[in-house]
Amino acid sequence: MAKANIINKLFAAGPLILLYYLSISEMDTNLEKLIEVFSINLQIIIIYFWIIKRPNLMGTGHIFFAGLINDVVMGFPLGISSLSYLVVCFVGNYVRNKSVNTTIASDWFTFLIALLFANLLFFSLLNNFSEVAISYAKIGYNTFFTLFLFPVFWLLFNLYQMSFIGSQDA
Amino acid sequence: MSVSRDDFSIAFRSALLQRGASQKFSIFSLIVVALVVFFLDVYGFTVVKTARSFINDIVYRVTYLASAPTRIFPGINEAIASHFNLKKENEELRQVIERYKSLDLNLEYISNENKNLKKVLDTESVKSVSNIVLAKVLVDRNSPFLKSIIINKGSKEGIIKGMPVTQNKYLVGRIVETNYLSSRVLLLNDLNSRIPVTFDEKSTQAILTGGGTRKPTLTYLPEDYEFEDDVTVFASGKDGIFNAGTPIGKTKYTGEVELFVDPNQLSFVTVNLIKPSKEIF
Repeated sequence: MAKANIINKLFAAGPLILLYYLSISEMDTNLEKLIEVFSINLQIIIIYFWIIKRPNLMGTGHIFFAGLINDVVMGFPLGISSLSYLVVCFVGNYVRNKSVNTTIASDWFTFLIALLFANLLFFSLLNNFSEVAISYAKIGYNTFFTLFLFPVFWLLFNLYQMSFIGSQDA
Repeated sequence: MSVSRDDFSIAFRSALLQRGASQKFSIFSLIVVALVVFFLDVYGFTVVKTARSFINDIVYRVTYLASAPTRIFPGINEAIASHFNLKKENEELRQVIERYKSLDLNLEYISNENKNLKKVLDTESVKSVSNIVLAKVLVDRNSPFLKSIIINKGSKEGIIKGMPVTQNKYLVGRIVETNYLSSRVLLLNDLNSRIPVTFDEKSTQAILTGGGTRKPTLTYLPEDYEFEDDVTVFASGKDGIFNAGTPIGKTKYTGEVELFVDPNQLSFVTVNLIKPSKEIF
């Protein structure tokens, strides 16, 4: 019984572990060695999906901290990724408060809004307060591929949720 | 109408301020904290700089450890694949040996010449060994926006901002951030990288500009300049940062430069402890 409980807790911590791992490791979510323009922001997809589906698995403090780690590893000013992740959290919370039941289509549409707000904040802060120059084309590609691949990850995470955590939505 | 506005404000406030069992902090409070941290970091207060340097050193080490699986698994894959290809490889090697046997006449002469050249190179290296620091690449996370690597040597070894970084005497980039035990190297293909270079028989001057893509491009060239393939590009040293004559890459007819060192394949680099003659950043 105790063993099963530990395994359940491990499965429940899976999304958070993945978020931390993506932030701290060298694991790339862009395949620019194969396709030069391809890159996605998997952290934002993870945060948005789990905030909508299971907010109890994704503490905002953890999201803030994962953002700080991401900034250190990537060389961005501290706090900028945290801000963009928290904006995604905010939109996710708002959508969850306003909707009774969500579908892949409704989540995809609201994810577009979350992604636009998060990227707008991220790049306007970087542009106005930092010396780091960033290619607008890369931002466009990153936003496009993140949005485009959201349904794929939605299905994968949904499958994970149903298989290991339980099918009931928040 | 007023009901829907109430609805909106309730949902909005709830999303921003609500806390739950696992949500120990409201999003609003964390956004405020993140903004404070951001502005403290951007405006570079000494305390924040020191704290950031300390955090960087710790996080880079943890990142190096956490990335071990991503480095080990491709190696295992290659080992398995090479095991299965052993027979085929053996046949290919036999053919290669046959070919080399036919070239045996020149081999001795070439190998002697090679040995002599190596001796010359070694002597050159000994002369400059006190001015360089060999560093291991800790993190080369491939960001879509910033092209940089983290190395395991920092201000403890005398590294300061702006120092050139090379591999096999080919230019790789320059130091843009130093911590006590680690440093960040901005690679030549990063969007923020600009290097004065010289190339071809006329010693044409240009700026090598990173674009975030694999190959940087040559800009600020003379009017109507026509590119040729395979012309070696060297650092001109006019910025007072890079050694004049450090090789960088070969030109393409498109104006891009094929770098001698692949920025995605760096394991060890050398930092040239040359104090830049002007302040960078």
